Amino acid sequence: MTDPVLHTERLTMRLPEAVDAGLYTEFFADAEGSGNYGGPLRPDQAWRMLAQDIGHWHLKGFGKWILELRATGQTIGGCGLVHPEGWPSHELTWWLLHSARGKGYATEASRAAIAYGYETLGWEVVETHMRDHNVPARSIAKRLGGEIDRRETFPDGVTRDIFRLPRRAEMAAS
Amino acid sequence: MIEAPVIETERLMLRPHRADDLEAYAAFMAADRAHYIGGPYSRDDTWDTLMAGAGEWVLSGHGAWAVEARHDGALAGRVNLSQPDKNPEPELGWAVFDGFEGQGIAFEAACAARESGFRTLGHDRSVSYIYPDNDRSTRFAERIGARPGPGAPAPEPEEGHLSCLVYVHHRGEMA
Repeated sequence: MTDPVLHTERLTMRLPEAVDAGLYTEFFADAEGSGNYGGPLRPDQAWRMLAQDIGHWHLKGFGKWILELRATGQTIGGCGLVHPEGWPSHELTWWLLHSARGKGYATEASRAAIAYGYETLGWEVVETHMRDHNVPARSIAKRLGGEIDRRETFPDGVTRDIFRLPRRAEMAAS
Repeated sequence: MIEAPVIETERLMLRPHRADDLEAYAAFMAADRAHYIGGPYSRDDTWDTLMAGAGEWVLSGHGAWAVEARHDGALAGRVNLSQPDKNPEPELGWAVFDGFEGQGIAFEAACAARESGFRTLGHDRSVSYIYPDNDRSTRFAERIGARPGPGAPAPEPEEGHLSCLVYVHHRGEMA
């Protein structure tokens, strides 16, 4: 499999690699920012998370990209498609360093990841889900044209809304 | 994408892990005897370990292999050369799944993985961290030529776990 690299207006999306250990360490050291992602984590745990994210690509054939600013090469977070073991469906997910939030990067990267899901992976549907109180994630899902398709209780006992995310053409039309 | 190289031995094929290896590996990790490796572990934890062992090849140039019986393709176990970020040296680990024990599979797979580390990664030594009450593994380590390494650093134990013995595998002195 050739490593997929995606380009958006402001971002290069590439697979995670060894140089990203510092980015993971920084993100997971921030308790507030990484709280919805299993954080905070020690540097050695963040390193293992990086290894897991790479391994997801190997085992599933899809995963999370690293987001790099095209202008400066700076890495600011991640975005992609994952399927946590035992969960009812895959999900679109994203994470950003605190300093990179509020600039539309999650939405921009998500559009490319959604298109990859439909066009390259050939999926029937691309979805995402989040806890009810995760307001920023809900508003990004809506900005992407997402609509609540159903509500499910996940293996962790938490009930979440599942958003169906439309193809690019439908997004443009909406 | 860098992944585990396929290695064939007399009876085994060491190959990159696949998602469908999870069933057999999770059964092994959930069993009582997994307490010798810090378990038992849930299926979710095992999936994380499966992912980490695949991803480590990209980060470090070594990681985990699935061990398959060549004659029928059955998944017999797993070997790995791993160095989590906090560990002082690359560790050789082995696991033989239920129904495949007592056939010398660990011996054949561990020797092949260790040799690959020495040859392709240029390691002079690797280590195996073994809980002091895991007699079966200390005996096995001795049998494949590893020796207790006084002075070799052990990783910091996880909370609630014993400190490990360190068995050292030296290049050129092996079984």
